Amino acid sequence: MRLTIKITLAILLGVVLIFSVYSYLSIQREREQLKRNLSREARHIGESLRVMVTELWQQHGEEEALGFLLRANQGYSETLVRWVWVSNDGPASYQPRVPVAHLDRLRFEETVTLMAASDEGHDFLLTYLPVLLPGERMGAIELTESMAEMHDYIQESLRRSAIVVGALVVSGLLLMTVLGSIWVGRPMRKLRAQAERIGTGDFSTSVNLSGSDELAELSNTIERMRGQLAQARDAEQAAHAAKFEALEKLRHTERLATLGQLSAGMAHELGTPLNVIAGRAKLITREGMALEDITRSATIIHEQAQRMTGIMRQLLSFARRGEARKQRVDLNLVMRAVLPLLEPTLNKQQVELCIDEAPAELLVCADSAQMQQVLLNLILNGIHAMPDGGKISLSSYPAAAVSVPDGFENPDQSWVCLQVSDQGSGIELEVQKHMFDPFFTTKDVGEGTGLGLSIAYGIVQEHGGWIAVESVPGKGSTFRVYLPVDCRGELP
Amino acid sequence: MEAVCIDLTPRVLVAEDDRELRELLALVLENAGYQVCQCSNGEQLLTRLKEQPAIDLVISDIRMPGLNGLEVLARRNRHLQQIPFICMTAFGDEQTHRKARHLGAAAVIDKPFDLDDMMTLIAHVCLRNERIKGVDHENK
Repeated sequence: MRLTIKITLAILLGVVLIFSVYSYLSIQREREQLKRNLSREARHIGESLRVMVTELWQQHGEEEALGFLLRANQGYSETLVRWVWVSNDGPASYQPRVPVAHLDRLRFEETVTLMAASDEGHDFLLTYLPVLLPGERMGAIELTESMAEMHDYIQESLRRSAIVVGALVVSGLLLMTVLGSIWVGRPMRKLRAQAERIGTGDFSTSVNLSGSDELAELSNTIERMRGQLAQARDAEQAAHAAKFEALEKLRHTERLATLGQLSAGMAHELGTPLNVIAGRAKLITREGMALEDITRSATIIHEQAQRMTGIMRQLLSFARRGEARKQRVDLNLVMRAVLPLLEPTLNKQQVELCIDEAPAELLVCADSAQMQQVLLNLILNGIHAMPDGGKISLSSYPAAAVSVPDGFENPDQSWVCLQVSDQGSGIELEVQKHMFDPFFTTKDVGEGTGLGLSIAYGIVQEHGGWIAVESVPGKGSTFRVYLPVDCRGELP
Repeated sequence: MEAVCIDLTPRVLVAEDDRELRELLALVLENAGYQVCQCSNGEQLLTRLKEQPAIDLVISDIRMPGLNGLEVLARRNRHLQQIPFICMTAFGDEQTHRKARHLGAAAVIDKPFDLDDMMTLIAHVCLRNERIKGVDHENK
């Protein structure tokens, strides 16, 4: 129910109550007044008749007196006048309409006024005036007046009061509905719409209610709140953008640092073909070379240049700083993509890399370049843990029974795992606690940024996954990267 | 007086896993009048040296499958230590250079190298070795 209707009903209820009580009291008062008037009138008539009846009784006897009363009765249309004996043994025609017991006060020569109801339910006002007769006989003049007129009057008063109350309720409701809609409903709708807009993050529209009432004050408050929220959101967006940019820069820096680690191997990869190209070119420039040899040298130069181009492309595609772009990727392809980048370093460090791909596609929604970065960081970490060479196992598989850490619980989510195991020195428990912290490194100064694992962890977290570590000091470590399976349909 | 015909052409053994570079070096060396043998990994190099020690110079890549150049250097016996080694490396760091020299390499050259520089180096090493051999003979 609308607030204005509730308030209106409450006010109307109060008004109706007060008015009803007032009307009731007024009607009661009028009723008493009418009764008194009727009674007074009856007494006046009765007094006059009593004097006459007493006179006639004394001078002409009972018959004349009672005859006078009968005649007098015909003179009053509204009042019935009768003679009654105040005793139970009188003739029935002269018995009072009420039991004699109610008329005791007549014996003290007091006038008695009574209300009585007939069997039909009509009310009457009975007035008895005592007449003391010789021989101590007690008689009385009974005046009966119908209360029907008074009842009609009261009914009319009640009807009018009811009409007034009804009109009051209807007009009050109508008036309050119209005014309530103008004064309360409309501004409230505006404020509600504004609150809903603010709730959905739309701070562009302003709402100003004119006037100086409570709703106008509320609108001003909402306006101030809108401004503050818009400012806070702008600040938050700016901070978020700055943080994002800083993170991107940091990741790019780390990517370049990874490239730096790979560069020694890459230098070897590039140095050899470059050597062949330079040598073959020099051979060609020398005089006296057979055409056949020149053609052979040129072909070799072309092949070697292509080999170098391939290496350069791999390096550039990894180093290039691109927009983070998540799409459906097969983790097996990510594993294959890091191989050429790592091969020279693996050879240099005499580390054997065994790859065990899942037989089926492992689709995740991920940024392929970022996932390569994660894998490279983990594998390079493994290579560093084996200074005298060894074996690194890289495998991918759907993770069936996995203990999901807090915050990742989702019964409907399936996970896939990328696993990197080395036979290195292992990681002490104390180091494991901090290994994903930024700038935490166990390497010598200048050998590592201390950001590799923390950035890898950040990337995996951003992809909705986590990295688990299992390590036995002296035997090796296993890093498992868990990522949520991309369950969308066969969308591109 | 009996005339004896001695083959004075220096014999060079080239060990390099990259076929193109190996063949290029062999071609250039042959053109320059050297006798050239080739092998593509450390084990082959060591076996060849043990079976046919009459080699005047070894040119070996450091990074090779199986045994690498440094390991071959380390495993030479006293006799083989007479044969000068020129090591080629693309890793180029000071540590590798130091390690190779420490193990007895006559010279270490960074890839990519200029072919003429390489030939000069080879000639220089061969000549120096000849001189050392000559001194040894005189001493004997």
